[in-house]
Amino acid sequence: MTTLALRWVHRNLFAKPFDAALSLVIIPMLAWAVYAFAHWALVEAHWQVVGGSFKVLMTGIYPADQLWRAWFSVATLCAMFGAGLGLSVRPGRAASTVVALGVALTGVMVAVAIDVHSGMLAAGSAALGVAAWCGVHHLAADQRIVLSGLLAGVVAIFVVLSPPGFEVWGGLLLSVVLTIAVSILTLPFGILLALGRQSRITSLRVISTAYIETMRSVPLILVVYWIWIIVPLLAPDTSVPGLLRGMAGFALFFAAYVAEYVRSGLQAVPKGQIEAARSLAMSSWTLNVDIVLPQALRVVVPSLVGQILDIFNGATLVFIIGLTDFLRAGQMILADPQNSGRTYEIYVFLFAVYLAIGGAITYASRRLEAHLARGSR
Amino acid sequence: MSTEIAEYHSIPPARRGLLIASRWLLQAAIVIAVAGLVIWLGLAVREALARKGIQFSFGYLGNVANFSLSEGFVPSFEGNWPILEPFSPSNSNLQALFAGLWNSLKVALSAIVLCTMFGTLVGIGRLSTNWLVRNLCFGLVEAIRNTPLLIQIVFWYFAVVLRFPPANAASNWFGGLLASRSGVFLPGLAISERAGVASWGLLAVTFALVVGCVVLRGLRLRLILLAAAVAALIGAGFVGFPLGLDLPVATRFGARGGFSISPEMTALLLAIVVNSSAYVAEIVRGAIEALPKGQWEASASLGLSRSHTLRDIILPQVFRIVLPSLANRYISLTKDTSLGIAIGFPDLFNVYGTVSNQTGRNLEGVVIVMLTYLALSWIISACVNGINARMNGRRAR
Repeated sequence: MTTLALRWVHRNLFAKPFDAALSLVIIPMLAWAVYAFAHWALVEAHWQVVGGSFKVLMTGIYPADQLWRAWFSVATLCAMFGAGLGLSVRPGRAASTVVALGVALTGVMVAVAIDVHSGMLAAGSAALGVAAWCGVHHLAADQRIVLSGLLAGVVAIFVVLSPPGFEVWGGLLLSVVLTIAVSILTLPFGILLALGRQSRITSLRVISTAYIETMRSVPLILVVYWIWIIVPLLAPDTSVPGLLRGMAGFALFFAAYVAEYVRSGLQAVPKGQIEAARSLAMSSWTLNVDIVLPQALRVVVPSLVGQILDIFNGATLVFIIGLTDFLRAGQMILADPQNSGRTYEIYVFLFAVYLAIGGAITYASRRLEAHLARGSR
Repeated sequence: MSTEIAEYHSIPPARRGLLIASRWLLQAAIVIAVAGLVIWLGLAVREALARKGIQFSFGYLGNVANFSLSEGFVPSFEGNWPILEPFSPSNSNLQALFAGLWNSLKVALSAIVLCTMFGTLVGIGRLSTNWLVRNLCFGLVEAIRNTPLLIQIVFWYFAVVLRFPPANAASNWFGGLLASRSGVFLPGLAISERAGVASWGLLAVTFALVVGCVVLRGLRLRLILLAAAVAALIGAGFVGFPLGLDLPVATRFGARGGFSISPEMTALLLAIVVNSSAYVAEIVRGAIEALPKGQWEASASLGLSRSHTLRDIILPQVFRIVLPSLANRYISLTKDTSLGIAIGFPDLFNVYGTVSNQTGRNLEGVVIVMLTYLALSWIISACVNGINARMNGRRAR
C-alpha cells in the first residue's frame, strides 16, 4: 500500500525536476490555505447568520403565512428535475447512494438551519425527486409525455406562487423559477430565429441575422433594463409586473443565443435528408417540423442545457430592475448593521449554493452529451 | 441549389411568373410587417414620452451634466491642443457618456491583455504532468465558470478590496505597489525637469529602434537594431535621463504620486480578469488537445523537452486556432464591464443610467449605448480577424 502510494506520488508529483519544484512550492501553500479556511469555517465563522436568514435567502419577502406555496414549488421542482434526469441517466447503485446521502444531508441541514418541520419537507421533496427519477426511468415513459409533464409543472408553479403578487417573489426561488421560465420561453423564439436565418427568403434572413447579431453584441443588463423601462410606455393603462418585464428582457436576449445553437444543429443535419424529403414532395413546414428539427435539436440538447446555466448566472442581473434574487437577498442581509461582520459567511454560502446548482447543470449537460453520442454510434 | 434549378425548369413559364411574383410579395409582406412593427414601437414610445412632455431629440446631449463621476476623462481643448481632462459636473451629457466609455474601455483593454496571459498559463496548467497543478487549475476553472460573474464582482469588491488596510497603513508590495481600501497605487513615470533636448532625442531614437525591431523581419537586422536601442538608452542615461520612476507614498487619505487605480476599478478588473481567464484557459486547453498527437511525438523524437515543444511547436499553432474563440471571449468581456454598476463603477452603462434618470431620455440614450457596444464588438472582431488573416496568410505562403 505504501509502495503504491509512494509510486503514485513519485509519478504524479515528482516525475521531473520542474514538477518537483512546483510541488514543493504548491504543497505548503495549499496546506496553509486549507488549514486557514478550515480553521475559519469550523472555529471562527458564525454560521447562525445563514440559518437565521434562511427564509430571506430562499424566498425573499414572500409572506411567511403563504410559505406552503413555496414548498409546493420546491417539491414540484424536485419532481421535475428527477423526471428530466430519468430520461437520460440510469439510477445505478453508485448514483442512488450519492442521491440518498444527498437527500438525508439536505433534510438534516435544513432541519438544523430552520426547524425539524422544514427539514422533513425538504427531505420529502428531495425523495419525491428520486421517486420521479426511478419512476420515469423504469416505466420508460414516452419523452413527449414527460416533456408535457414538465411544462405543466412550470405552469402549476406559476399558478400556485402568483396569488400573493409577483412583487413579493424573491430569493433563490425567484432565480430558479425565472431561469426555468426563460429557458422555456427562449426555445420557440430561438428556433424561429434560427430557421429565419437559414431561410431562402432574403428579407427574413436579413432581419433574423440583424436581430441575432445585435442582441449578441449588447450586454444583457442593457436589454433587461430597457425592456423594463419601455413596457410601461407601450402599455400605459396596464401595469405589467416587473418580474414579467424582466422575463421578457431575458427571453428576447437569450433567444438570439438559442438561435445560434439551433443553427449549428441545423447545419449538422445531412443535406441528403432535406433533399430526400423534398423529393417526396414534403411541404417546407412538414420538412422542418418532422425531418430537420428533431435531428437538429437532438444535437444541440447539451448546449441548450448548458445555456440554462448562463441564464441562471445572468438571473443575478435582475437587481437592476429592483427584484430581490438570491444574491440580492444575501446583500440585503449584509446591509443589516447587525450582520455587517458576517460578509464572508454569507458570501461563502451564496458561492457554495451557486456552485452546487451550476455544477449540477454542467454535469447534466455533459452526461446528456455522452448519452446522445452513444445513441448516434 | 440543384433542387431549385430542377424545380425551376419543370414548371411551365406561366406558373413560373406567378411563383416569382408570389415570392416577391412574400418578401415585401415581411419587410412591411417588420418595418411596421418597428415604426409602431417607435411611435408608441414617442407618443408616451410626448405625453410626459419629452420630445425625441439628441439636443439634451449638449446640456450641462450637473452630476459628478468618481473617475473618467473627457476630451477638451487647451488653447488649440486637444487634451484629456478629468470629468467635472460642468461638462455636457455627451462628455459624461464619453467618460463612461473611457472607463469601460480602460477596464476592457487591461482585462483583455491580462486574461490572455493568465488564461494561457492556466490552460497549460490544466495539461500539466503535475497532478496537483492539473487539478488545481481544473478546480479553479470549474468554480469560476459555474458561478455568476456578478457574485464574483461583488465578492472581490466587498469582501476583498474593501477589506484591504486603510490608506495610512497600506500594504507595500515589492517596494512600489501600494494596496489600500482607497485604491491600488502603482509606480508611475515622472518627467524630470533637468533633462535636456539631447536626452529626449536619444530616448525617441530608442523608441523608434524598438518599434523597428518589432516590425521589421530578419534575425540579424533585429539584433543590430536591438543593440543600437540599448546603446541609445545608455547614452540617454549618461546625458541625463528624462524619465524617472514615481513611487507612490502612502498618506493619510490615499497616496501621493504614482499611478492610482480606484477600488471599484480594482475589484471589477480582478473579477473580470479571473473570470475571463477561466474561459480563455478552456479555449487554450481545447486547442492544445485538438492538435494532432503526432506534433508532440515528432518533437519528442527530435529530443525536444516538453516545455521547449510547448513554447516553439504547440503554442504558435494554438494561437492560430484559438483566435476566433478568443475574439468572442473579448467581446463578452467588454460587455461584462457593464456589470460595474453593481459596485458603483462609472462605466458606459452606469453613466447612461444616470444621464437618463436625470433627463428622462431613455430612448435616445439607449440608441447611443447600443450603437457604441455594436461598434466595440465590430472593432474587436475586425482586429482579431485582421490578425487571424495575417497569421494564417503567412502560413499559407
